[in-house]
Amino acid sequence: MGSVHAKSLDPLPMHGRDLGVNPDDVIEAPEPEHEAKQEILENKDVVVQHVNIQGLGRTKEDLLGYEISEVFLAKNLIDVMKKAHLARQKLLRLGIFKDVEVLIDTSEGADALPNGLDVTFEVTEVKRLTGSYNTMVGNNEGSMVLGLKLPNMFGRAEKLTFQFSYGTKETSYGLSFFKPQPGHFERNLTLNMYKVTGQFPWSSLKETDRGMSAELNFPLGITNHTLKWEGVWRELGCLARSASFAVREESGHSLKSALSHTVSVDSRNSAIFPSRGALLRVNQELAGYTGGDASFLKEDFELQMNRRLFWDSVLSASLWGGMLYPLGGQPSCIADRFYLGGPTSVRGFGMYSIGPQSEGDYLGGEAYWAGGLHLYTPLPFRPGKGGFGDLFRTHFFLNAGNLCNLNYGDGPRAHLQKLAECIRWSYGAGIVLRLGNIARLELNYCVPMGVQSGDRICDGVQFGAGIRFL
Amino acid sequence: MSLAAEAFVSQMAAAEPWPENATLYQPLKEDQILLSDCASSLAVQTYLRMCGLPVQVACRANAEYMSPSGKVPFVHVGNQVVSELGPIVQFTKAKGHSLSDGLDDVQRAEMKAYMELVNNMLLTAELYIQWCDDATASEISRPRYSSPYSWPLNHILAYQKQWEVRRKMNAIGWGGKTLEQVCRIRSAFATSSAQFFFQPTELDALVFGHLFTILTTRLTSTELAERIKSYSNLLSFCRRIEQSYFEDKILSVSLSLFIPSLIPSL
Repeated sequence: MGSVHAKSLDPLPMHGRDLGVNPDDVIEAPEPEHEAKQEILENKDVVVQHVNIQGLGRTKEDLLGYEISEVFLAKNLIDVMKKAHLARQKLLRLGIFKDVEVLIDTSEGADALPNGLDVTFEVTEVKRLTGSYNTMVGNNEGSMVLGLKLPNMFGRAEKLTFQFSYGTKETSYGLSFFKPQPGHFERNLTLNMYKVTGQFPWSSLKETDRGMSAELNFPLGITNHTLKWEGVWRELGCLARSASFAVREESGHSLKSALSHTVSVDSRNSAIFPSRGALLRVNQELAGYTGGDASFLKEDFELQMNRRLFWDSVLSASLWGGMLYPLGGQPSCIADRFYLGGPTSVRGFGMYSIGPQSEGDYLGGEAYWAGGLHLYTPLPFRPGKGGFGDLFRTHFFLNAGNLCNLNYGDGPRAHLQKLAECIRWSYGAGIVLRLGNIARLELNYCVPMGVQSGDRICDGVQFGAGIRFL
Repeated sequence: MSLAAEAFVSQMAAAEPWPENATLYQPLKEDQILLSDCASSLAVQTYLRMCGLPVQVACRANAEYMSPSGKVPFVHVGNQVVSELGPIVQFTKAKGHSLSDGLDDVQRAEMKAYMELVNNMLLTAELYIQWCDDATASEISRPRYSSPYSWPLNHILAYQKQWEVRRKMNAIGWGGKTLEQVCRIRSAFATSSAQFFFQPTELDALVFGHLFTILTTRLTSTELAERIKSYSNLLSFCRRIEQSYFEDKILSVSLSLFIPSLIPSL
């Protein structure tokens, strides 16, 4: 009997391309037209006897053992299919296979049981070496970016990435090695080596960083943790001869060696346009303990809460805050301090143009907070609903924040008072466009309020892009 | 600096008088500054004293990187930042302070030529001794140059600087020279220029800065100082300027690299 039913299931479609790897997808109950037979099959006990993987080249089998072992625990056919589907997604998540197909068949051979099944994963490995080539224009500079990737380098889902950017002004590169723990993909180690150059016109500052870092990611309950050590040689310089003397005084070389820890809890249903859930991220950094010239303790946090209201509109509230505490009696460096303002933080103000400044160059502050209240709604009259139109939202916002330097001798009450005076705030409305699931573009009409002397404002229409937003 | 910017700067400079809080920036006196930077800094200080312009000396570990031209010393006057003796002379001239006004065109051209000679010969020779003589580089220059930085940045920066200077030396054909040849070049220069100093000009400031620093700085080889000491006119020149403009105390503070025994011989 079993063989008859199983045979009818032979062409059972587990075709990779149709299913995709989007984790939002609900696992669909397979084969609705076989409902009549499923009643029998669901209750029928089966034993998964063999799981084969075909098409392996350089991938080590012990790595895959962890990913597919669940399939052996399946007790009936539906279970086998569900578990096989999950295993397939786990395999694809490793990023080492282009394609994975699943075949389920009755067992054959001498030791075959009457209710035994064989599951076969047919995999196609990705190429040993992939490359990419981009040109980028921006910031008064054109650059050419070459990328090389060696996925699955040693056969256990390791990845080596190299990126080289050759620009008309600056050259940057980065080399990164990624190694997950077999069976626990979320626990992984990343090693980086890089040289990057940044130009910060709001501070008339140019920064070249050469550094290396080691990063350990691991989940713990519902939280995600990142432990990181970073050693970076920083070279600061003036962007122009007209830079203020306060910035000029910061020029030169310094070495930062910092240990940092980030913990985050994210229950949102989407990173860009969440309609429910909350995010809390707390980051702390201790520099100077492991060597180097810079020594400080830096704490900052980010909180976002979302709530769905009537007619698909969402109310979102966020709060950011941070404090930099210089250690060892030396003043903080301009490159370590916080900056605030711009089209994705306190809207209506110029990019990082709030707070202490000298001759028009913003110097950053040692403490800041910023809060935002947003009401997101779909586009009026909902054009392109269910398709293109869902990439857009209109929003009404109220932002507030402050950035200043604290006198650490004064005690917490004086600090709160300092942070509570001279609050900059703004309100307005605009359109938000989602770019993939990582970035967004905003076009807003802003009305800045509470402007202090020295702040640069952007009264009216402001355009901005960002991956982190208030 | 472009011509337009230079014109703009001098125009701006002319508008304001020399402020009281003008500051000269140089590397750390005790642990960091090297012979060539010390000489250049002393030359600028001497020049400003000759002009009667007050200036405070500030020592910063990152003075070299703060300077717009990457060379020390530089002065911060009002809103302006000007580095090296040549531009500083131009800058003070725009403010109405000049030492070379009394010279005619020929003398002025000669003076400029000699200043170039000092920069090309004395300064280059100082750089050669600091960075191309292995004993001096490893015992004095590299440890002092990198003293403000922590490991491993100190080694990186010191070798980077040494490599840069050596490349420059090779480019101008000094790479193959020996220490002795360099010393001979310097003393040859010293004799030829010794007759020029009748009235104080920027040239005197420049030559004094270099000679005095060489005479009072401890290096691995004293050959150079000995050679200069054999010219009595140079010694009396140094003593005269020191007495007229520094009245003993300032220099002994500003030059920590003293060999005290040398002072009486000056």
